[in-house]
Amino acid sequence: MIKDDTHGTNGKIAAPSGLERARLSLAISAGKLAGASGRLLRVGGGTSLPGLIARRIDPDVLKSVVGASKARKIVITGSNGKTTTARMTAAMAASSGKRVSHNRAGSNMLQGVTSVAVNFADIFGRLHSDVLLFEIDEGTMPLAMPEITPDVVVITNIFRDQLDRYGELYSVAKALDKTLEVLPESATILLNGNDPQVANFGQKAKAKRLFFGLETTEVGTPVPEQSADIIRCIHCQEDFQYEVAYISHLGIYRCPNCGYTLPPLDIAATSIKLAPDGQGPTYVELRTPQGNLRLEISLPGLHNVYNAAAAIGASLAAGFEKEKLPPALVNIKPAFGRLEKIQAGDQTIYLSFVKNPTSFNLILRLIAQHSGQKHILLAASHTIVDGEDFSWIWDIEIEEIAQEIIDVVCSGNKPEELAMRLKYAEIPVDEISQNADLESALDEALKNAGPGGTLYILSSYTPTNELRRIMQKRGWVKHVWQE
Amino acid sequence: MNEQIQDTGMILKIGHLYPTLMSVAADRGNLFSIEKRCKWRGITTEVEQIFVKQTPDFTKYDLILFHGGADREMELASHDIQAKASSLIEAAESHSVFLSVCAGFQLLGHYYKPFQGPELEGVGLLDFYTEGGNTRFMTHMALECDFEQTGKKVLVGYENHSGRTYLGPNAQPLGKVIVGWGNNGKDGFEGAMYKNVFGTYLHGPLLPKNPWFTDYLIQLALARRYGKVELAQLDDTIEDEAHDAALKLAMQFKGTTSAIEATPWKR
Repeated sequence: MIKDDTHGTNGKIAAPSGLERARLSLAISAGKLAGASGRLLRVGGGTSLPGLIARRIDPDVLKSVVGASKARKIVITGSNGKTTTARMTAAMAASSGKRVSHNRAGSNMLQGVTSVAVNFADIFGRLHSDVLLFEIDEGTMPLAMPEITPDVVVITNIFRDQLDRYGELYSVAKALDKTLEVLPESATILLNGNDPQVANFGQKAKAKRLFFGLETTEVGTPVPEQSADIIRCIHCQEDFQYEVAYISHLGIYRCPNCGYTLPPLDIAATSIKLAPDGQGPTYVELRTPQGNLRLEISLPGLHNVYNAAAAIGASLAAGFEKEKLPPALVNIKPAFGRLEKIQAGDQTIYLSFVKNPTSFNLILRLIAQHSGQKHILLAASHTIVDGEDFSWIWDIEIEEIAQEIIDVVCSGNKPEELAMRLKYAEIPVDEISQNADLESALDEALKNAGPGGTLYILSSYTPTNELRRIMQKRGWVKHVWQE
Repeated sequence: MNEQIQDTGMILKIGHLYPTLMSVAADRGNLFSIEKRCKWRGITTEVEQIFVKQTPDFTKYDLILFHGGADREMELASHDIQAKASSLIEAAESHSVFLSVCAGFQLLGHYYKPFQGPELEGVGLLDFYTEGGNTRFMTHMALECDFEQTGKKVLVGYENHSGRTYLGPNAQPLGKVIVGWGNNGKDGFEGAMYKNVFGTYLHGPLLPKNPWFTDYLIQLALARRYGKVELAQLDDTIEDEAHDAALKLAMQFKGTTSAIEATPWKR
């Protein structure tokens, strides 16, 4: 039986028949078995396989398990910041004494989301969690939302990403906005008020809208960077005037023609002290509907201020106690490949997963704050998950740190494209090498870094996974699911 | 790059049309390619950015760049460009070089009629019209050009458009499709040319991976002020590798309308 995944159930779950219950149990058992054998055989991350298998047997597995659960359901979506926001929210739930089920490994397409149900439910499809936390790919939202009907939805931002998969930015945004209409009145939508497009979401939604963002001129720049997408008014197309731009098109904007501007922020960072060395911690004064909070975030960068504000907003909307939230941020570890610090013998590696110009530029700017000249391993691939169109590397501002780079090894399955991009940033050709084999590229780059040296790795999704697997084999990192 | 660059004393004036409005798919790489390949040869480039509501005399530019944008941006550009149209046509007639890509290309034609929504008026500088289709061509692409000065040469890139372009008698196609869909997926041609005006659907961005074409445009643009100029040779090892890899990749995707959907899971 194939169900049309795009239609919701209006929140009503019919009592399952004996046969349906049996199929659900079978689906969950098979999914669990697939996950266990995947881990045992070290096949892939083992994170989306359980969901894939379970959905084959029972396409309604996610809907049934989630629908029967009394847990608070939180969905986090958007272009950037999903994984870290979800991790912060999970930490806040834990510090509030809640039991959390979460697609922690960042497998955020429909199969990965379904894996939450499979991994955490017992074989009768019962979840013993207080909070279900889903990180969901923005393009997957129209499929996933009707199956989950969350209590809280967070939309972090929408940036230029994967034009070859989704056509253009506006169609992704429009589809995402539409999914909010299925939410009941009791739900909360938490939107990034600094994103002119996201701030306008949910106009037709029944659910309550809350806005989070930054509200200070201590940080940021006067104008948005080149790769910024939404720099014109979404209503009348006039160029926005920015009081301050924080990341890409996120900022304090106002249309001089029609007056469209950001909504009053419910959760606002009113003061931000960034670490000058790019390594954290970050100190933030946060205004919330329940009073002010003082945050110490162990992670660096403005993007993590957004992640923290979104996580606090989600936690408050889910009913967690305000006082329990800040401590969760003090020791938060970077997510897999988010400027993840790895000890490789006497050498240090910073591993960064970069997937679009915005995330690439963020990481470049943080690295630039680290002292000393930089040895870099750059790896990008064109695959089904990374995308086929490679043009985005010309939108990154590599020129900003070109002077600080001593050598770069280019790897992944398009090393020549990366090398060419660097050449046109006027990095001397004799400082650029190409090595398509990731493992030997890693060794070459570590050799460049020298004894006790530091290597910066910036790579897209597939090579990040593979590099991490190599480092895991060498005992430098733990497996994703052991974190 | 090269320490002993001799200043040739030559200046190339570039007009970058709608640098922020029409800047999808990192087409600014085309500008980088022109700037650096001039710089490495001791040719000075002067770049002026031209925004909406500005109406400069376009004949002062030797080379004009006009890149792609999404439908929403294109609609805005279509309205604005009407005030620029006569000067753009004058520049084309006085042999300014144009490189127009995707939506920029479409707006140099007579009109663009989207699949849904109102018709957008173009400049009418190139003799063609474009109509929106119900599917998108999103794949690797290669085409063969045959210019008098260069002979047969291959361009590689990535197309991502739903518009179908049909040329009239006063426009020549830029090249013949080797792989991909090109103007309309039917007649086997890609892009358009008239005098020194070039239009194409190729992103990638186009110029970095096709250094021969960059140099061809630079030569045509310099000829306006300095007559026929021989360009100094550059070491294009990396560019040629990127070109060849892109061509090889394109061949693997022959016949597919969406590269991402046709991508093998394991590569």
